[in-house]
Amino acid sequence: MLAVKCPVCGAEGDETDFHAGGQAHIRRPATHDPAHVTDEEQRNYLFIRINPKGLHFERWRCDRGCGKWFHAARDTVTMEFKAFYGVTELPPADVIAQAKGQWAEYFANRLTSESKA
Amino acid sequence: MSELSYQSPLAGVAEPQGLSISIREIDERGMIDLRGLTSDAGFMAAVKGVIGVGLPVKPRTSASWGDVKVLWLSTDQWLILSSRARAHELLSQLRDALQGYHSLAVDVSDMRAIIRLEGDGCREVIMKGTSLDLLDPEYVQGCCRRMRYAEIAALLDVVEDNVFDIYVFRSFAHYTWNFLCATAKAPAKLKLFGAQEVPA
Ligand SMILES: [Zn+2]
Repeated sequence: MLAVKCPVCGAEGDETDFHAGGQAHIRRPATHDPAHVTDEEQRNYLFIRINPKGLHFERWRCDRGCGKWFHAARDTVTMEFKAFYGVTELPPADVIAQAKGQWAEYFANRLTSESKA
Repeated sequence: MSELSYQSPLAGVAEPQGLSISIREIDERGMIDLRGLTSDAGFMAAVKGVIGVGLPVKPRTSASWGDVKVLWLSTDQWLILSSRARAHELLSQLRDALQGYHSLAVDVSDMRAIIRLEGDGCREVIMKGTSLDLLDPEYVQGCCRRMRYAEIAALLDVVEDNVFDIYVFRSFAHYTWNFLCATAKAPAKLKLFGAQEVPA
């Protein structure tokens, strides 16, 4: 059993009171540049997911509480939650620092693109 | 020509026998679903002007004024309780007062069935169907929250220390009633601490 805490309303509970919504931080290419979406980008957006052993970032919903979506960082080996954060937010810096592989790459890209913007 | 008429979802169910607590349906209650932004001072003031009490903004709390009670459902959603007759009045007053504000008010009086549990041991009975720890100090009078109860969506309102209202969607009324009748049977009464008496 996973013990989850909603960052929106503070409800704490069993994972059955919440709903797991798959991988977090997926960006729809057509939202950013509808005129230039390649088949590969669209395929990646729809079907390709990160499935790491270790730290992972997911979407969850406070199903039996406030009903809002939020983000969680969870270790897929120990099942330990590292952080719960808002649905429009990035994870806390210390959790980003622990990310490995594809997630480390993702956050590095995201932070550089946001600092340029 | 057929006339629209309200029928309680639990009309005609048999009076339960041999329960450790009392359960009954509350059918004379109007409910209005209200949505809006707490950051909008105009919206908050307009609602208070109609219902007489400020909307509760603290998660899982309720507020009352006279015969009107408001349950917090989410950071932007509330359920306003009153008598059925009063709900019609309140709804039209709310709609007038909320003109121009980003908000929504809908009469949902027929959407849910309400079952009232009364008596010593209510918490233990409810805890047979939910993962919530109702012994936590949060669950005192004035607390309300949505929960997963007997695998379905429900809303719990702590009316008094030993009085609880469970709201479920209307189509689940019989299911919830039967679940309660089974789990509240006197010989199935649970004691949370200490030695449990063996039922005769
Ligand atoms: Zn929540």
